[in-house]
Amino acid sequence: MENFICIGGILLVFTLIIFFYLLNTARKRKTPATNSIGKKDYLPVYVSLADKPQSIMQGMDRLKAQVQRTEKAGDKWRWIPLIIFWGGVALIVIDLFLDLLGYFSIVFTGGGIALWIAAIVMARSLRKSDSQDFAPRYSGTKNILYTLRDDLRPSTTFLGHLDLTGALLPNKVARTTKDSQDRTTEYFRDEWLALKAKLCDGNILRVSAIQKSKKRRSYTKRSRISGKYRTKPEKFKGTEHDLKVRIVANPEVYTIVKASPFFKPGLNIGKFTVSQLDTEGGMISFVANSPFDEVEHENILQVIRSAYSLLQRKAA
Amino acid sequence: MSRKTVPFVVAFILVCLVMAVSAVFAFSGAVTAEKFGGAVTWSQPYATAESMKVINLMGDDQDELFIQNTGNVSIFDGSGNVLLSQDYQNPQTTLGDVNGDNKEDIVVFYLGDVGYSVDTISDGKISNLAKTLSIGLPARVIVVRFVSGSQIVLGDSSGGLLSLSLSGEPLWSYSVGSEEIRGMDDALINGQTDLAVASHDGAVVVLDSQGKAVWNTHQESLRRMRAFDLNSDGNSEIITGGEYGALFVYSAVNGNQMYTQGMGQAVSEARVVELNGEPSSREFVIGGKDGGVWSFSFDGTTVKQMWSGSLSDKVTEISGIDINGDGAEEAVIGDDSGNVAVFTGSGTRNNLSSHSTGITRIDVGKLNGERSVVIADGSKVDVDKVSFNSIPGFQYTPLIVGVIVSAVILVIAAILVSIPKKPELKVSFQDKSRESLEAERRMLKESIADVERLRKSGEVTGDAYLARLKRLRGDLAENEAAFKTTGFPIKVETIQCPNCGGTLELGMDKCEYCGQVLLS
Repeated sequence: MENFICIGGILLVFTLIIFFYLLNTARKRKTPATNSIGKKDYLPVYVSLADKPQSIMQGMDRLKAQVQRTEKAGDKWRWIPLIIFWGGVALIVIDLFLDLLGYFSIVFTGGGIALWIAAIVMARSLRKSDSQDFAPRYSGTKNILYTLRDDLRPSTTFLGHLDLTGALLPNKVARTTKDSQDRTTEYFRDEWLALKAKLCDGNILRVSAIQKSKKRRSYTKRSRISGKYRTKPEKFKGTEHDLKVRIVANPEVYTIVKASPFFKPGLNIGKFTVSQLDTEGGMISFVANSPFDEVEHENILQVIRSAYSLLQRKAA
Repeated sequence: MSRKTVPFVVAFILVCLVMAVSAVFAFSGAVTAEKFGGAVTWSQPYATAESMKVINLMGDDQDELFIQNTGNVSIFDGSGNVLLSQDYQNPQTTLGDVNGDNKEDIVVFYLGDVGYSVDTISDGKISNLAKTLSIGLPARVIVVRFVSGSQIVLGDSSGGLLSLSLSGEPLWSYSVGSEEIRGMDDALINGQTDLAVASHDGAVVVLDSQGKAVWNTHQESLRRMRAFDLNSDGNSEIITGGEYGALFVYSAVNGNQMYTQGMGQAVSEARVVELNGEPSSREFVIGGKDGGVWSFSFDGTTVKQMWSGSLSDKVTEISGIDINGDGAEEAVIGDDSGNVAVFTGSGTRNNLSSHSTGITRIDVGKLNGERSVVIADGSKVDVDKVSFNSIPGFQYTPLIVGVIVSAVILVIAAILVSIPKKPELKVSFQDKSRESLEAERRMLKESIADVERLRKSGEVTGDAYLARLKRLRGDLAENEAAFKTTGFPIKVETIQCPNCGGTLELGMDKCEYCGQVLLS
């Protein structure tokens, strides 16, 4: 009897695990997955830009549509694994019924388990078709390209990349430091947007959006009181944004003014504060910082627009 | 193979496998839905039966139930009414025709008021055959039909044997070891009956009608000895089960050991059961002290194990009965915990209702015109009508289950094929005009220079620098490839590391990513 209860209990636990796995597959997760620092996980996309604005924007829309089509096609069949699971249960119930009648049979149970395995395989495949949401930076970048499309010199292209694979990847660790307690802190540098464009007025615009993050690695520490070793989890120490812009002015059209009330170091523009400004050598180079981990495309465009106040059009 | 074909190919292979397994199960006959049931026809209190037989003893046309325990010999009619009940002290009984009326009589060897005595019970009438016999405490008794005439052979608890004529005259005596006689059976040698005897200390002997040993041998302490002509060749095989698990099969002719096997537990019972329905040979079933059950077949030269099973306690009795009417007997086996199970010819176990005390004897026969299984336990004797039920056509259910599983597999394959492939998440939007490609190339070179500058200023170090550089150089290589594809002239500036595949600048001697030395 004890054996029966023990084996029955184990089988019940397995059955419940399978059931809830399939149920979770059927009821698609509404709350988005989060990463190690508790932020929402987005689809890891890398876009290489070397085309005309219209083509890039169409391509970005096409990619989004393809991802959504795959997800939608998977969503249509999400309940099927659970239905197959219940089919397996029905087969097993036939065996139980036969056992109640005094016959011994495991044929239907074998079939039921085969159906459960098939259901798990299908659920796994359906889960693979799931996608995270596109990051707001994806549509934000598209909007920047859309805004700048008419300023681009005809027959030239936007150049650069949009890297939304994640800010805290191991290959984005710019440097590491150790403190007096031998704890390692990692400094991440994620240049998620790099854009170069030749504009109609002859200027060349370069924009780089860089997210800088800091994270302390997990470490083991010995308690002073009990003497036990304890592992402390990794800790996210914060993030900030740098926007680096360089405008090479067309000397035939513009002269660069040294100062402007609309653009000077220390000035707040949207979420950004201008921290460095250099107007030497026929070009405007500046860095704007933002303490926010997310900056909207409007803020970036606003900063670029303000920087244009340093350019004075020459008289014709 | 295309993405749409692969799931169907995999599904087809799985369907073939599933259907093959289903077919094997369906056509091998391994899958059956059978049940054996028992309903008690009547029950009488009778404690711890030592001997029991369904047989005609009263001279009518009906079989009766003969039963004996440590202090009583009784006969019940087919309805459970007591026809005879006689108390004895330490009785041992056997059945045989003593008075020559061609009907079986009961022979009782017991300790009487005037010493060890033998009574016969014929048609319900008790008569004394011999008394004050020179022998020990009764252990076994048998009526042996020697060619020269039948004899009653008594065995005691010290290994002593005493043969009596049918009129009760002592004929010969013999000593088989020094411990209790544990088995006495007819043994055929060249079609003629001899007597096989074994004692608990391991002595085994075959005696002729004069009480002379044809052969004898000695083995480990034994619990059971039975003699059967398993292959109907006129020569019996003697099966012994040891106290320490040794199973021996001897030839009754010369005592040659034909088979031996260690069962891992004391052998508590051995019986012949016609398990395969092939009458030219008989199978035998062995029961163990820890509940082990094994069946063996014998083809005249070799003994083969057919199947093994188990009960939860010491096997106390084994009996053969053809319950399902297929011409082969099933083994009805009882254990010391009161469980009764039917083992079919393939070894499948089916439980009958269990008893509250240990099973002591099981026999089968016709009582009141109905085929019955009689089961005696520690307190009573039950006469059961055993039934057999099966679901016709059940053996083909694996095919039905196989078809269901196969259909589901094919449906899943079709669904998976209908889901479009997830798009690549690394995409490149590239204008193929020469100006655009050149602009892109310039931008990439500027970016590479930027990364170099960041490294020099210490802003980016280590892996991040290499990863960024690797990606930019990769893009540069793609740009060169685009130049070549569109037919524009290009001076190649990148090479690929033959070890890690990373893109490097032309002229480098060592791969920056994996350390591979380059000979370019």
